[in-house]
Amino acid sequence: MPSLRTLYTLSLTALGFGAALAAAGAAGFEGRLLRYGGEGLLILGGIGVAATVALMRRSCDRLANDVSRPGALTAPGGVTATDTGFPFLTRATSAVLEAAERAVAEARLQAKELEIRLKVATAERQHAQAILYSISDAVLVTDPFDELVLANESAARTFDFDLASSGHSPVDRVLRDPKMIALIREMRQSHSRTGRRIVEHEVRNAAESRTFKVTLSSISDGDVPAGVVAVLHDVTREREVSEMKNDFVSMVSHELRTPLASIRAYVEMLIDGEADDVKTQREFYDVIQNEANRLGRLIDNILNISRIESGLVRVNKQAQSLSVIVKDAMEVIAPQAKQKQIVITEELTPVFYQTFADRDMLYQAVLNLLSNAVKYTPAGGAITVEISVDEPQKKVLTRISDTGVGIPPKDLPFVFDKFYRSEANSRMAPGTGLGLSLVKHIVEAVHHGRMFVESHVGKGSCFGFEMDLCE
Amino acid sequence: MNENEKTILVADDESHILNVVSLKLRNAGFRVLTATDGQEALEVALLERPDLLITDYHMPLLSGLELCQRLRQECAAIPAIMLTARGYNLEPEDTARSGILRMVSKPFSPRQLLATVQEVLAETAVAA
Repeated sequence: MPSLRTLYTLSLTALGFGAALAAAGAAGFEGRLLRYGGEGLLILGGIGVAATVALMRRSCDRLANDVSRPGALTAPGGVTATDTGFPFLTRATSAVLEAAERAVAEARLQAKELEIRLKVATAERQHAQAILYSISDAVLVTDPFDELVLANESAARTFDFDLASSGHSPVDRVLRDPKMIALIREMRQSHSRTGRRIVEHEVRNAAESRTFKVTLSSISDGDVPAGVVAVLHDVTREREVSEMKNDFVSMVSHELRTPLASIRAYVEMLIDGEADDVKTQREFYDVIQNEANRLGRLIDNILNISRIESGLVRVNKQAQSLSVIVKDAMEVIAPQAKQKQIVITEELTPVFYQTFADRDMLYQAVLNLLSNAVKYTPAGGAITVEISVDEPQKKVLTRISDTGVGIPPKDLPFVFDKFYRSEANSRMAPGTGLGLSLVKHIVEAVHHGRMFVESHVGKGSCFGFEMDLCE
Repeated sequence: MNENEKTILVADDESHILNVVSLKLRNAGFRVLTATDGQEALEVALLERPDLLITDYHMPLLSGLELCQRLRQECAAIPAIMLTARGYNLEPEDTARSGILRMVSKPFSPRQLLATVQEVLAETAVAA
């Protein structure tokens, strides 16, 4: 079978001759044979060209089919362009195939590069998320449509939402905090590119209310605002401490001013000669002395608690009789008790029962307990001081009981906390909220004893401590 | 001014302050009533209708401010001087609403307190 190239050449030749002869006949040459021969060749040439084109089309279809088979271009012994027998077609097809192969290779490279970039981006995002989740501040990130795009667990806890299902949800559906939603929207609408706003915001839920310092920042993608980042730092404890400090300063000021007021007033009365008889003058001197002592005790308390807690005080432990220490403290407190017609009774142990203790510190502890008993016992009440010894256990127990106002059960667990004052009793008498904290520290931290309290509202309280007996 | 006609109620839970202020005022010729807590002061004030109240801010049962506010509610507009060891003044609205005309910080001078008492009584006499 002739090849397509031969058929194509023959057809074109026939077509050329036919056309020449037919043209010559038509131009006036007489020969009929010449004219009919030319026409015949023209027809044969046309048929040949048509057949060639048909065959070329079939070859192209076959080539296309072969090429489209998987692996046809790459498999050994696969289709090659030269199979068709047309040099130009072969060249064109080869060029197309080479270009297609280059494009495929390039696309593969790009895909690989994109894959690497995606992995890097994913790793970076996971890293950023890990950082975000590890910080204790609550973080919320919203997009330009006020949808939540990123948040950490702290934010989910603070605003009580499900972190897993909150992604790309409108912020007003995720948060149930109208003020926080408004803050985010305002920041987004402000179109601030580099602006930052810091506000204080209180977040309330069923259990508690917490105060946050909220830092709102706009983020932008070039010139286009891309959203808002809100970081919430919990300042509840800082505020509480600050409030406690203010209360403490105010309370200390009150406590210092009260005895000072008496001292100043009585001194002035004496100077002005308003106490005309000796008996009244004597009373005034006593008041001044007692109030000066009270002032001294208060200052001691404030200084002691700070020095003992910071470890600045040298502890000097020796064998001491608790009965002697209690007696000394009772003598100091007696004028205050007498002023309120409070009777103090004692049940002490012989002085040979001793405990290994720092005398000054233990004296301070007993004095504080006695002072509290006087403060919270109404006029005409009674205070009992008992010391008992448990010889088999080698323990000595000190109990100071009063017939005072008592402490509500809800306040009892906190009475030894620094600055804590029972709301119900703070109106009964002023105080710093330091005395019992100091007593507990002296008994338990310095002497390894045990502090306890029992109380019934309206009946009275009993504060006590247990320490080891000396061998 | 005939000070013998004037009655002053002094309320303070600090007995030393109560005694010294009472003595100073008695020596100056006033009739003095005393109370050791806010509730007692309210009862005495309603019964005796004193011309002036000198009250401590921090007292059991009723604070000095609550005492003045209760007196206002009970239609007994008694001018008052507030003693305070807190070291700060009350809000002007609170003092104006409660009939508190002066704040005196502890420690104070009995001499100056007496001067303040006379000043307030003179002001209220003019107003009346």
